[in-house]
Amino acid sequence: MSVQEEDLSPLGKYEEGMPWNPVEKVIFERRSIRSFKKEPLPDGMIERILEAGRFAPSAGNMQPWKFIVVKSPEILAEMEKDAVKVIKFFMFFLDYTRGGILRRLFILSWVKWIIRLMKNKLHPVPVGLMSQIAQGKTSVFHGAPTLVLLVEDRRGVACPPTDIGICGQNMVLAAHSMGAGSCWIGLVQVLMYLPKWRKIFGIKYPYKLNDCIALGWPNPKADGMVPREVQLVQWYEKGLNDAPRVTKQGD
Amino acid sequence: MKKFTIVDRLRIPTYDNPKHMKTADLFFNPAKCKQCGVCIKICPGGCLVTDKVTKKEVWQDMKSGVKAGVPRVMTLKSGATLCIACFCCGAACPNGAISIKRNFDPKYFYKRLTQTEDMRYPKRY
Repeated sequence: MSVQEEDLSPLGKYEEGMPWNPVEKVIFERRSIRSFKKEPLPDGMIERILEAGRFAPSAGNMQPWKFIVVKSPEILAEMEKDAVKVIKFFMFFLDYTRGGILRRLFILSWVKWIIRLMKNKLHPVPVGLMSQIAQGKTSVFHGAPTLVLLVEDRRGVACPPTDIGICGQNMVLAAHSMGAGSCWIGLVQVLMYLPKWRKIFGIKYPYKLNDCIALGWPNPKADGMVPREVQLVQWYEKGLNDAPRVTKQGD
Repeated sequence: MKKFTIVDRLRIPTYDNPKHMKTADLFFNPAKCKQCGVCIKICPGGCLVTDKVTKKEVWQDMKSGVKAGVPRVMTLKSGATLCIACFCCGAACPNGAISIKRNFDPKYFYKRLTQTEDMRYPKRY
């Protein structure tokens, strides 16, 4: 399901029920692309994408980011190998869905406490993904020809991770508007357990690496709209003591 | 709106128990599917499989004309799946053979409160 060029609305206008404009088209049709062609994007295009990130809004205009572009196939292959190694190591201790009943009971006796402590990193979704990676059924960096590491400067104003998110989203939308494919990869964090990679990329205080973006030509083209859950939205419109009006966004 | 109760707060779901994890439900229309393997290639977690090929094989050397077989969602030993309802497969499918029936919603500690069960395409307000 893809909107054709001629059906688009002009920018800078709103009428009820009007067709999508080009910006909305890119936003709604952006899908995370996880299979790339071998040849990387031209350098000029990567620079243009980085430019979108450079002009992202940030708290106090502090721009708490540093971009690292990794194009070397040697380094990319090494990153993939080491990430799989670290994930295999962790999954040996944490993955109770594999192996015999004794292993399962033993791991379950303590793993839920660890999940409580690391609730974001051990959410069911990343655990399922890491389990698949440990079994060799999928890969960490999807064979991307280029990785852009979004390094966070922890001294930024207010909440630097938010600024990193805004900056990265700018770059991702810019990439998709030019026909490239991209995917956020948070699993790059597992490399930070290895001093080797912290040293190679120079990740030490004040810098912190949480996310990277894989860039490349999509193979096959997979952008398109998808259905998402209808959301309940609260509207506070009346007095202090009135209950909010709840609407179903998207229904 | 759903409530986050004291039980939810305390209980961590078991990730491979279908009663604790409501994973998404995909339906593949075998009449429309041309068995090209695009959905398997695009799936984030490698949780789409066919009886003939794995994701790694599709990824490395899928030659044109090779039939990948009609895909299905991989089930763990306990009957749970890993599908997270991103529907990237459906957006990528050139023949529109995939439809989604259910959203992804873990129970207890990871329960989502404002997401409802209905799945809708972007609406032009």
